[in-house]
Amino acid sequence: MEWIRVLLNRFVSLFRRKELDARLDEELNAHVDLAIAENVRRGMAADEARTAALREFGGVTQVREDYRVQRGLPWVEQIARDVRFAVRQLRKSPGFALTAIFTLALGIGAATSVFSVVNGVLLKPFAFREPNRLVVMREAEDQAGKERTIVPFNYRHFQRLRQNTKSLEDMAILQNRAVSLSPDGDHPYRVGGLAASPNLLRMLGVAPILGRDFTESDAVKGATPVTILSYSMWQTLFQGNPHVIGQRLRLTGESATIVGVLGPGMHFPQFALAPKIEFLNVAPAREMQIYIPLTPDEYALKDDTGDYNYKTIARLKPGVSIEQASAELETMQRAYSASAHLPIAMGIAMTPLVKDVASGIDNALWMLFAAVGTVLLIACVNLANLQLARATNAEHETAVRAALGASKGRLVMARLMESLLLACVGGAMGVALAFAGVKLLLSLVPANVPRLEEVHVSLPVLVFALGLSVVSAVAFGMLPALKSLDVHPQAAMQANSTRTGSMQKGGRARNGMVAAQVACTLVLLIVTLLTLRSFSHLMRMDRGFDSSHITVAQVDLLAPKYDDTKPGFKEAKLAYADRALAALSQLPGVQSVAMTSATPMTGETWVNYLERPDHPLPMAQLPLVNVRWINAEYLATMRIPLVAGRNLTATDRANPLVALISEKTAREAFPGENPIGRAISNLVPDTDRPVTVIGVVADTHINGLKDDAAMLYAPYWAFTPWTVSFLVRSSQPGNVLIPEMRSALWRIDPQVTIPALKSLDDQVSDSVATERFQTIVLTSFGAAALLLALLGVYGVLAYSVSLRQQEFGIRIALGSDKGTLVGLVLRQAAYPVLLGAGAGLVIALAAMRWVRSMLYQTPVMDPMAIGGSILLLLAAAAVAAIVPARRAASVDPMRALRME
Amino acid sequence: MGGNKADVLQGTLDLMVLKTLESLGPLHGYGIARRIEQVSGETIQLNQGTIYPALLRLEQKGWIKSEWGMSETNRRARFYSLSRTGRKQMERATENWERVAATMARFLEPASSETN
Repeated sequence: MEWIRVLLNRFVSLFRRKELDARLDEELNAHVDLAIAENVRRGMAADEARTAALREFGGVTQVREDYRVQRGLPWVEQIARDVRFAVRQLRKSPGFALTAIFTLALGIGAATSVFSVVNGVLLKPFAFREPNRLVVMREAEDQAGKERTIVPFNYRHFQRLRQNTKSLEDMAILQNRAVSLSPDGDHPYRVGGLAASPNLLRMLGVAPILGRDFTESDAVKGATPVTILSYSMWQTLFQGNPHVIGQRLRLTGESATIVGVLGPGMHFPQFALAPKIEFLNVAPAREMQIYIPLTPDEYALKDDTGDYNYKTIARLKPGVSIEQASAELETMQRAYSASAHLPIAMGIAMTPLVKDVASGIDNALWMLFAAVGTVLLIACVNLANLQLARATNAEHETAVRAALGASKGRLVMARLMESLLLACVGGAMGVALAFAGVKLLLSLVPANVPRLEEVHVSLPVLVFALGLSVVSAVAFGMLPALKSLDVHPQAAMQANSTRTGSMQKGGRARNGMVAAQVACTLVLLIVTLLTLRSFSHLMRMDRGFDSSHITVAQVDLLAPKYDDTKPGFKEAKLAYADRALAALSQLPGVQSVAMTSATPMTGETWVNYLERPDHPLPMAQLPLVNVRWINAEYLATMRIPLVAGRNLTATDRANPLVALISEKTAREAFPGENPIGRAISNLVPDTDRPVTVIGVVADTHINGLKDDAAMLYAPYWAFTPWTVSFLVRSSQPGNVLIPEMRSALWRIDPQVTIPALKSLDDQVSDSVATERFQTIVLTSFGAAALLLALLGVYGVLAYSVSLRQQEFGIRIALGSDKGTLVGLVLRQAAYPVLLGAGAGLVIALAAMRWVRSMLYQTPVMDPMAIGGSILLLLAAAAVAAIVPARRAASVDPMRALRME
Repeated sequence: MGGNKADVLQGTLDLMVLKTLESLGPLHGYGIARRIEQVSGETIQLNQGTIYPALLRLEQKGWIKSEWGMSETNRRARFYSLSRTGRKQMERATENWERVAATMARFLEPASSETN
């Protein structure tokens, strides 16, 4: 405690220097007076008394100095002096100061914004108890000669593993369920529902802030329906009313009792059911969550070979590694597959929760982070160059300081302080910009990126910005500061003009920095152009369908009358589809109306094994198809060509067990055969009868632009799903019909929910939101890097030309023509630029391995991207060099010579 | 040691100052310096000025307080006095010092009797 008191005392003294100096002076005077008085009393003469008193006192100056050192904080005072000096120096060149601050503010602001997203999405630990012990588990199908397929969990497999595992503390099973909420008298809307085993929240280490957690008895069949609300749900529906516990809420038409409310920090992260299955665009805002207990139905409790429809999350026991746990569960799965004679040997796939949630976006984000870091680095190199020039100009002054005895450390510190000051001001402005930058990024970032609600400028982000500012200051200030050590006081002070000498000396460092800058820029440009090429391939590829002039409406039949426990639910679903198709085709300008069971671009769903009664195969060798339930107008509306056989017709309604298959399905399931007329079994729910293939249609990328799954289309007359998507082709642009479609769909049944209603063009465009985000942000970083490099090359050349004015004047006087001089300067520029470009090319080639996975149908050695980048860079360098070169050629020899 | 000027260790100077203020009450810097010279019987010759950084150090630690007052010759001077924590600190230091001195004395005694 004492040292705090001392420090405080010393600190306060910093602000009372004058007063305390006066006090010390008076005290010392009093001391001498008292001593003289005593000496006189002892009989000395006045002169003698004074001399003796001063002799006994010792060195007054020394005492004063010791006293001051003891009094204040010498290093603080030193820093304050350096800061004041730096401020004075910077005010002398406001142009430089403003440029530096502005560049740094933008650089640090951009880097901090990107880091906020990286931190929120990738780095920040979940607000769960010991989140690094949480893992996501999926099952794996091992088929001879095939790659391992990762599939969602089967309920029975989950139950068995949970009972027997020794390496896991607990496992929870869950399912995302679309839930419709109908506020009084209004149309229902869809919210995210999470049906989970009652142990989920306890396993995560999360307790409700109001009410209670689920208990095992809540998940028993026939139990009173209960629900737990997320914080934002509670705020939105009940305005944070604390007496909400015990109230009832109508979920999908059924009443449920609210038993708990979760805290504001609880966001259950979205992770994929299986790698290829995405819940794109139709997923509602994640914060609007409702938790319900997962009650397994009889089917789930019996089915051992299908029903892979669940997500599981587990907690490792303390000290157990993920490898140990997966080894244990893998063994259990294999043993069970063998003993229960499962048709496919099952395994296990385990990934840490944080990694699983971020998969799919982590590469893109890290790449952007690297890109923004590169831009900041280039900006720092620019500033270092400017600082170097300033240090060279200040050589004379540095020499004076050195001659007066300033230590090396003090000289470096004095120059570095300027950079630190610039970086701190720039950093503070950068943080202010980051608040806006994060908003901008969040508006660009695709909505399906997980954990976006956790992205904001937080304490770790501020610490990052501070660290970044200091690192930048050292990065751009250290080299110039160290350069000032090379100054020889005598030489520097003798030379009244250091022009030619310092030109030689600083020149190499400056050229080195230009080369580094050019190298960084080229790497970034190549990556940017590759990404642009990849994105344009993605957007311009042949999708196999025509999305223009189509509006898509997804309808979820979530009202009670469509529930499979109610009599007549099949007829109700079919009737809704029929009436909707009829009503939509009556809308103005409509050419055709199609129906399908999965909104385009929402990933692979309803994935079935394709079984042929005439050609039985072991399950492990069966091809997989995505099943879609459509109407006869589907092909015409989507403009998908029929390759063989015939389309559905109205007459098929009487005997609806027919199917169309895509060319890929035909290749995989009927290799070398004519599939028309062949039978496929076990396809339509609730019937054992097979369907007959009547036609083959072209392949499409209907599940996602990068997806090329094998498809099978069957008429909705055979089975009407609970999710029906209507595709309306009209003469008008795709988003004109939206309001009319919504009212038409609700006129038929006001109780259905419409989670997606937009033009199909928008739906396609939204499906590549991650790629677009990456492309836009990378392009802007690439442009910024190019601009900075241009400024860097210009700055260095312009400076060296200004130093060599005299030389150019003499050359002109001696008869050099302008062309020669321009060539001279351009050659000088070409050397570091070409060197840097070469280095950049080498770095880019080395980094390509990392970029490859992010490119779509674009080779990393794409000549357009690499050649284009080099050309762009050289053009920018030429533009930057031509202005100083012309200035060199237009030097007036007389004025240049008189400058001496 | 004879007439050699002894270097004053920082800790001992602090204790001397505290002890002086305890026995004489509030005193100015000159008085403290003189008292230390007198008591030490002129074996310690400190530059009187060095007392001031020491006084500042003790004041920063909160062991002594200071205020302006009038000297016996009617000269305005800064008077130092012991604070409560200073008194405690002095007692602790005295105890420590006595223990060290006693231990040292026991080590030194037989040695001196042998040489005699």
